[in-house]
Amino acid sequence: MELKEIQGYLYFFFILFLTAILYGYIVHLYRSEKKGERDYEKYGKMALDDELDSKPVEPLDENDVNEKRSGK
Amino acid sequence: MQNPAVEYDYTVAKWFSYLAILFGILGMGVGVLIAFQLAFPELNYIFGQYSLFSRLRPIHTNVVAYGFTLSGIWATWYYVGQRVLKVSLKESPFLSGLAKVHFWLYFVTALLAVVSLLFRVTTSKEYAQFEWPLDILVVVIWVMWGISIFGLIGLRREKTLYISMWYYIATFLGVAMLYLFNNMAVPTYLVTGMGDPLHSVSMYAGSNDALVQWWFGHNAVAFVFTVPIIAMIYYFLPKESGQPVYSYKLSLLSFWGLMFVYLWAGGHHLIYSTVPDWMQTMGSIFSVILILPSWGSALNMLLTMKGEWSQLKDSPLIKFMVLASTFYMLSTLEGPIQSIKSVNALAHFTDWIPGHVHDGTLGWVGFMIIAAIMHMAPRFFKREIYSKKLLEAQFWLQTTGIVLYFSSMWIAGITQGMMWRAVDQYGNLAYSFIDTVTVLHPYYTLRAIGGLMYFIGLFMWAYNFYKTMTAARQIEEEPKFASPMAA
Amino acid sequence: MFGWLEKNPFFFAVGVFVVIAFAGLIEIIPDFAQASRPLVGTKPYSVLELAGRQVYIKDSCNACHSQLIRPFKSETDRYGMYSLTGEYAYDRPFLWGSKRTGPDLHRVGNYRTSDWHANHMWDPTSVVPGSIMPAYKHMFTNVTDLETAFAEALTVKKVFNVPYDKDIDGDGKIDVVLGDSPADFEAAKQRALQEALVIAKETKREDLVNMVKEGKIPEIVALIAYLNRLK
Repeated sequence: MELKEIQGYLYFFFILFLTAILYGYIVHLYRSEKKGERDYEKYGKMALDDELDSKPVEPLDENDVNEKRSGK
Repeated sequence: MQNPAVEYDYTVAKWFSYLAILFGILGMGVGVLIAFQLAFPELNYIFGQYSLFSRLRPIHTNVVAYGFTLSGIWATWYYVGQRVLKVSLKESPFLSGLAKVHFWLYFVTALLAVVSLLFRVTTSKEYAQFEWPLDILVVVIWVMWGISIFGLIGLRREKTLYISMWYYIATFLGVAMLYLFNNMAVPTYLVTGMGDPLHSVSMYAGSNDALVQWWFGHNAVAFVFTVPIIAMIYYFLPKESGQPVYSYKLSLLSFWGLMFVYLWAGGHHLIYSTVPDWMQTMGSIFSVILILPSWGSALNMLLTMKGEWSQLKDSPLIKFMVLASTFYMLSTLEGPIQSIKSVNALAHFTDWIPGHVHDGTLGWVGFMIIAAIMHMAPRFFKREIYSKKLLEAQFWLQTTGIVLYFSSMWIAGITQGMMWRAVDQYGNLAYSFIDTVTVLHPYYTLRAIGGLMYFIGLFMWAYNFYKTMTAARQIEEEPKFASPMAA
Repeated sequence: MFGWLEKNPFFFAVGVFVVIAFAGLIEIIPDFAQASRPLVGTKPYSVLELAGRQVYIKDSCNACHSQLIRPFKSETDRYGMYSLTGEYAYDRPFLWGSKRTGPDLHRVGNYRTSDWHANHMWDPTSVVPGSIMPAYKHMFTNVTDLETAFAEALTVKKVFNVPYDKDIDGDGKIDVVLGDSPADFEAAKQRALQEALVIAKETKREDLVNMVKEGKIPEIVALIAYLNRLK
């Protein structure tokens, strides 16, 4: 097979793959919100309530933080 | 949770803001001069050979893109980054030290770059003119920024990254990849041991070089003039208006759409050139598809103002940002139109292209950076914005300037494109080339006046910022949403 | 999977990189070998022409002039045969430009002469009334940096196998003589001076001829050598 041909197939399948992922992502966004697993819109608050002492929208686990900080 | 630091560290954000103002005035000042040179060629000689149009044009483009815009990007990065991750630079002596080194190294490199262009040291590749020693400095600066981004992320208190962070990360990665590949060159002195040590020769030849260059050139626009500016507006517009992003989900989708589609569109700079046809077609098609994610972001910004449109009347900062997103919509529609093959045949090589670039850069990039810096100023200095009236006047003056700019360039570009292809009744070319130049004189004059108006606006901005820093009324605590301003 | 990606900055960055690098992989890499093949008979630039090309780059002539004739009748009528990819095989960097504030120059050597160029670069409006191009008088006194041009030629010969010192058109003679090491520079300089003297005489300018006779090539002469080569 010529390089050009391989390139053509690669291109075609990668596009299909990425399109599938993109649609999968849309489905994921709405489904996880419907099921109540995650509320994406709440992340918008990160810009509004951004003082150093504000409560994080989604805090890291306390352990995680300590681990990271002692590492530095 | 207990935070060890009491407040955010704005030092480096402030420094970069000063630099953005300085480079804005320098870069656009040169721009106004060369615009007038096209209308009045005698102006080419005011500083001997150092003011020739061809010498100054690269200085204009580089100072505006890599001086003004990058400074603006980093001013906001060192502000927004801390805030959306809820971590202060003061918590890490390493990162705050690095930020300062980043600033100074960047400043020195930028000055060296200007001087080198003034003394004819250039590779001639547009937006990648710097010779190899400067390229290496640029890479070092870029790596520093990368460490800053991922270092700060490592210390964050907020688990999920806000959408602006996504865009900053993409800027970092995109520019790194593009810049490295496009600037691959062999320094001739290292191979032969003779000649100018600064000189290098491109790794790619002819059509390949063109392809790499415009893959870079187009996407440098993407990752310097679009992606980081979206990062800014997703933070500053909600914050200034007190309204959360209209649809966070849409912002995520547009992000991935933009990332994927943008890179393909570079081929539209090479339509009807000698690169293979399929690439040209691909460039054309993807440019049209690009409307979707671009308008996704732009509409999301505009809809963020839903129900709060009265703020548009009250706040000049909201005016700047809303008009910025409108200009973003305009230029992301105009670009794809110019990428359609038959339109491109007419528009390519004409003044319509600089016209298109400038409604994006002046309207979208410039306005967003101006608004971002004026939003940050009261937080930097714990003072009100010095004058709302001045800010309003600046807005209207600059908006008029932009309209004059792009409308005159539309007419100029289409006129010239039509005249190049016009034939008489026997099928011979109707105009000699010089006819198509002299006809543009009035439009070049109008364009220069438009640019001058925008330039004057910059001085109003600088004055307002300076007075905010030194003389405006002090405020007790950091404003939460709308920036306070004295009438 | 998606939620996880949003919270893991490292893998998120990898994802972004894959998505943006994809276009480059598909679009750019595969065509490289083919597009860099020279058109049959295309010869590399002589040292003097290369020096002129460096002057063209140094003063950013490409800011206003393109070197790309598109395949339209209006363009071929005005500038000549449309451009072919093989003609650019030795162009490092390419100089297509992106804006025609002035006319295309890809075949300017076909219809302009040395003295026209000299007059034009000294005072553009003297030959093109109404021209908005500035004069480039410093090129008439600056001395060409022949050494860097030679270094570039030697570099592309060594690194990219550009066919210097080879018989390209098959007539049994070496087409463009260069040499193999910096020691050959003196000989290359003498050849360049001979070429330059012809052009200087064609410009009918005493000062240029005298400079070349003194062993110094003015930048304008190198530039004209390059422009005459564009055919």
